[in-house]
Amino acid sequence: MRHLLRNLAVYAVAAWASLTLNFLIPRLMPGDPASIMFARFAGQLQPEAIDALRVAFGFTNEPLHQQYFTYVRHLLQGDLGISIAYFPAKVTDVIGTGLGWTLLLSGAAVIISFVLGTTLGVVAAWRRGGWLDSVMPPVLVFLGAFPYFWLAMVLLYTLGFVLGAFPLRHAYSDSLAPALSGEFILSVIQHLVLPASAIVIATLGGWMLSMRSAMVGVLAEDYITLANAKGLSQKRIMFHYAARNALLPNVTGFGMALGFVLSGSLLTEIVFSYPGQGYLLIQAVRNQDYPLMQGIFLTITLAVLGANLLVDILYVWLDPRTRTR
Amino acid sequence: MSHRLLLMCLSLLSLGGLVHCKKSPQEGAQPAPPAASTAAATVKATALTLAQEQQASWIRNFNPLIAPGTARFPTRAGVYEPLMIFNTLKGEFVPWLAVKHEWSEDSKKLTLSLRPGVKWSDGQPFTAKDVAFTFELLKQHKALDFPSVWAFLEGVQAKDETTVEFTLARPYVPGLVYIVHQPIVPEHKWKDVKDPVTFTNETPVATGPFTEVKVFQNQIFELGRNPHYWQPGKPAVQSLRFPAYPGNDQANLALLTGELDWAGSFVPDIERVFVSKDKENNHYWFPLVGNTTTLYVNTTKKPFNDVRVRKAISMAIDRDQIVKVAMYGYTRPSDSTALSDAHNAWRNPQAVEAGDWTRLDLAKANALLDEAGYKRGEGGIRAAPDKTPLRFEINVVTGWSDWVRAVQIIAQNLKQIGVEASLKTYDFSPWFERLQKGEFDLSMGWTSDEPTPYHFYRDLMGTETLRPVGEVSARNWGRFASEDADALLRAFESTNDPAEQKKLAGQMQLLFVQNAPVIPLFPGPSWGEYSTRRFTNFPNKDNPYAKLTPNSSPENLFVLVEVKPK
Repeated sequence: MRHLLRNLAVYAVAAWASLTLNFLIPRLMPGDPASIMFARFAGQLQPEAIDALRVAFGFTNEPLHQQYFTYVRHLLQGDLGISIAYFPAKVTDVIGTGLGWTLLLSGAAVIISFVLGTTLGVVAAWRRGGWLDSVMPPVLVFLGAFPYFWLAMVLLYTLGFVLGAFPLRHAYSDSLAPALSGEFILSVIQHLVLPASAIVIATLGGWMLSMRSAMVGVLAEDYITLANAKGLSQKRIMFHYAARNALLPNVTGFGMALGFVLSGSLLTEIVFSYPGQGYLLIQAVRNQDYPLMQGIFLTITLAVLGANLLVDILYVWLDPRTRTR
Repeated sequence: MSHRLLLMCLSLLSLGGLVHCKKSPQEGAQPAPPAASTAAATVKATALTLAQEQQASWIRNFNPLIAPGTARFPTRAGVYEPLMIFNTLKGEFVPWLAVKHEWSEDSKKLTLSLRPGVKWSDGQPFTAKDVAFTFELLKQHKALDFPSVWAFLEGVQAKDETTVEFTLARPYVPGLVYIVHQPIVPEHKWKDVKDPVTFTNETPVATGPFTEVKVFQNQIFELGRNPHYWQPGKPAVQSLRFPAYPGNDQANLALLTGELDWAGSFVPDIERVFVSKDKENNHYWFPLVGNTTTLYVNTTKKPFNDVRVRKAISMAIDRDQIVKVAMYGYTRPSDSTALSDAHNAWRNPQAVEAGDWTRLDLAKANALLDEAGYKRGEGGIRAAPDKTPLRFEINVVTGWSDWVRAVQIIAQNLKQIGVEASLKTYDFSPWFERLQKGEFDLSMGWTSDEPTPYHFYRDLMGTETLRPVGEVSARNWGRFASEDADALLRAFESTNDPAEQKKLAGQMQLLFVQNAPVIPLFPGPSWGEYSTRRFTNFPNKDNPYAKLTPNSSPENLFVLVEVKPK
């Protein structure tokens, strides 16, 4: 329990630091949102329209520290402000349209990749020198070297466009309304296959390799020999003795991976027109939409911190040593 | 402009390449890939599917008064409607909610006669009061006055049910377009809106052809017909469907699979990528009526304050090659008036004749620089009398590949006249800030896109939009200003006689040609693609009743009411 409490304090500090960076970094960018929006209309707006835009967006020339306090105060009230790119929608509403889909896509992809990769690693280490052990790692590492969005484009073109086996875009069929029906869920799954595969393929290699090497270390331990001597079943030794102990580094990696996948899935989403956070972030950057940028980074930060907290709790359960101290 | 954003993400080029590689047996026998048939089957032939905005998910907003681009297309012209619409291709105002406009003798009073019998989509009559109310809203909320009408208006008054009178503070005839293009909102609905600046107007009551929001989901929305539309029998299309596509690539892919009926995106090498897939149904039309892509010259700096240097640089540029290599041959070299085909009726042949400096002529360019006193020095690079070499940077936006290619060609060209120019790429915001503040040597840019040449030349030569270097200027980035131009502009503002206007516009062109304040490169095409698989009667070369592109509000209204199911 003390272990968890100490960690919670660390999380609070980490959250504060990232919130502050979140505030500062967008403001270091050159240009201002009104000019950018004006420029988007390449000569179709009157010069005076810039003033109207400035008034509409309510720009302030307050000193930075005051803006910071306002920002923190609003944040604590759950008010992320009004988006500029999607004026006059609230940032929370804008993010709300896509957050669920992003979490679904990256969550499904990370979990599938973690479970599949780890299992492959266990089996590969168990049958060292077998075909799985010698063929899979180099292939997966090779595939993992490609950026997610490139794999996504290849999948989109081959399986989606040429073969027509999977839908080319969106999170569910355009002719359906979101509902808790079998048809809708099926449609969601069908639309999830390609984008999730792109991420899974790119990340599988890492999980497999790290699990495999941890397993190899554990298999040399005395308690494995003892378990063998006791005549336990191979399956029991493999999963309960070796894999459970070798899993720890991978579990640590899981929390970190979620952060990478969240940012990586943004591009995958764009390729598949998936209605998630990916395009929102691009829009926010293009329009210098500070409130929206802050909101999106905030959700990513919180998701990563949350995942890490989850990992910490899992640790307590997996590793008895953390409980005794 | 949005097409460049796609180039940033780069994939269509590669996709296009892949599509081309696939010369499999499939291609000849079956023009559309299998995905098309399933996609097409789910869409009813009565719903026109189009792509205008690039979004990954839709936010429900049908407020026609706030910043253009934040409300869903076609809120400003389709759900709501303007009083008259300027048809760029015909060069005239088409009556819409107003049937007639009349200027007073001194050009300080504008009277509009409204169309009788027009109804809002809830059945209430549309009257002059609604028009006066809309303009009053713009006056009360500066944040809504995007056309800046209150910069020249003094008052708006509903004389009777169908007559509105606008009083101007000064004679300002070019202001007509901003008045008549303003979307009009119903007083009986909007008078109770607390803050129209942040109002999202989720269920619009309007006069346009499409006012019913039938479906609104995060990745698709559908608009149905207005039951009380004033044009009998129109629109022929039952509803408009808008699937969300985050970028040009995704929209172009939907064009290829036959899912989209109408789009306005940039497609590289369109004959091969799009038309050849289904010659009978896939069409495009890119008339040269957009803004002119221009090389801006910082005229506050030496040596660019010398007109001979500006002209010499312009003469050294091989525009034919730029058009072919950077623009896929979609456009033509600009002439020295810098006007696009949108202003063909205004073009002054005398000015075109006098402007030799947009024609490639290296000998003359070299002679001009010699005459201006820039002698060739080390490595063939010219230097000013005070020994500063002619070495400049040309600013471009990172990833806007058409501009980047154009500048690469220009840099090559300028070497031949002893000027060393190098390409300098910036992200969009810093690039635009430098341009606006006048902190550049040479920079790519665009011109104003307005109905008459008045705004076009005001923003390139007038003192009105001139700001000192270091201060943001919305227009006139080259910071050239001439009092002669001001005089012509003032005269243009106060005349409503077409012949007189044309004469003045001709004189502006002569002045522009004489001074070369910027270096025009090529007129911008207006992008538009359509498929006749399900719908017909789109405008095209043979039936040019309006611009094809949906990106040109409010002209897109012409197409919305004319398109018919097959």
